[in-house]
Amino acid sequence: MLKLKDITVCYGKIPAVRNVSLEVGEGELVTLIGANGAGKTTTLRAISGLLPLAAGEITFRHKPIGNTPARDVLALGLAHCPEGRRVFPQLSVRENLEMGAYLRHDREGIARDMERIFDRFPRLQERLHQAAGTLSGGEQQMLAIARALMSRPKMVLLDEPSLGLAPNLVERTFEIISDIRKEGTTVLMVEQNALAALEMCDRSYLLETGQVVERGTGREMLGNPHIQKAYLGG
Amino acid sequence: MPEFLQHLANAVILGGTYALLGIGLTLIFGIMRVVNFTHGELYTFGAYMAFMLAGMFGLNFFASLALAATLGMALGALIEFALLRPLKGADIDTTMLVMIGAGIAMQAGEQLMWGGVAKSVPNPFPTEPVVLGPVSVGPIRLFVLAVAVVLLVVFYLLLNRTKLGIAMRATFQDPDTAALMGVNNGLMYTLTFAIGSGLAAVAGALLGPIFVVTPTMGDLVALKAFAIVILGGLGNIPGATIGGFVLALAEEFGAGYLSSGYRDAMGFLLIIAVLLVRPQGLFAAKERIG
Repeated sequence: MLKLKDITVCYGKIPAVRNVSLEVGEGELVTLIGANGAGKTTTLRAISGLLPLAAGEITFRHKPIGNTPARDVLALGLAHCPEGRRVFPQLSVRENLEMGAYLRHDREGIARDMERIFDRFPRLQERLHQAAGTLSGGEQQMLAIARALMSRPKMVLLDEPSLGLAPNLVERTFEIISDIRKEGTTVLMVEQNALAALEMCDRSYLLETGQVVERGTGREMLGNPHIQKAYLGG
Repeated sequence: MPEFLQHLANAVILGGTYALLGIGLTLIFGIMRVVNFTHGELYTFGAYMAFMLAGMFGLNFFASLALAATLGMALGALIEFALLRPLKGADIDTTMLVMIGAGIAMQAGEQLMWGGVAKSVPNPFPTEPVVLGPVSVGPIRLFVLAVAVVLLVVFYLLLNRTKLGIAMRATFQDPDTAALMGVNNGLMYTLTFAIGSGLAAVAGALLGPIFVVTPTMGDLVALKAFAIVILGGLGNIPGATIGGFVLALAEEFGAGYLSSGYRDAMGFLLIIAVLLVRPQGLFAAKERIG
């Protein structure tokens, strides 16, 4: 479904990601793990069109999407839920969700999807008219995920959904992500919490200093001595 | 007391136009973060367009106003597209200098085109004032107030109730994330600048028939617009609206009870006083809409 072939992404002249290739099949949940600064977020931002490619190719459902404006990437069905939640702080919860459906014009469909989101996240309905900036961290994360789903994506990129959340909320967030995938949405997730990421995924890639250094199924990666030592605490 | 009511009525009428100028500039300066030195010239442009359409071409007065506002928006869009878009990511000083240059060029262009002699915009309103108890007001001034209030309401609805308005606010809060939602940020910048410019032009077109139209009429107005924006708190739209009325009240009452010679100074004295006590403006930043 999504294919990256030897992509290089630079900040100025300095490459943050070098020759990264990866693939996500339809219906898969693939994770990208690695330390801070390994290039995980950069990779996602290049996929969704926020950063230009210096080299390489990205295709989504057989269409080239490298160096394509974010708006067009989203229109193809690839949504990106950015790192740090990035809800619009001064817009209400409802307005944030409406922004998620910005490219859609089916009023009724949007209303139905919003109802479904309220079933899943009742807290968002309670806070519908509140400014998103006043929500707790966990609520903001739910809102960010819900907002990404409002575009009805075929695939969603999730960047560190567990970042800064209390442990019980982390677990709840991962449950929701598993549900999303069960409903047929393909997921590519960046996650620092390597153990959780490997346990829940089909396949995973390990990035170190901008390059893919390990790849495999979740189980394979959990058994990999290098990963055990460096990322799973021995 | 009758005198007081008369001043109050004058202030409210003037305040409506000030509010239009203020929200136009707070959109551009407070939300887009462009120090817009062309705002006063767009005001002047609006007034000249009203003069040209109604005075020279004999077009219907109301159609002239609408057209002047539209042309102001178009000119604003052009300025954004030709000057600001290529400067995206440039230093604020660079942008500021370019805008100062654009302002000077526009004023010189007006001088060249229309000459220095003041023009007046013909209007269909009777000159006989409307007398309401102790207060008498020119009918055109009532019309100006009504238009200003309608535009303020339309603007609020646009910004808060429409998809476009929500997307505009989202863009200025977080452009990257707005892009991820599918918003065309470039278009939002152009539109916002155009709307802000249109509000300035319509203010000029509305006041043109009351005062006279000269190439330098925008100078003081631009200063006042900045004052209103700062009074209301940068980027705060309700703040700029109230700021417009506050400035008008200060001017009217200052001129009426102290000295009419100091009319324009009153507003600036008020701003100095406000900034000394509340440097963030009368309304705190957390209330801002953008």
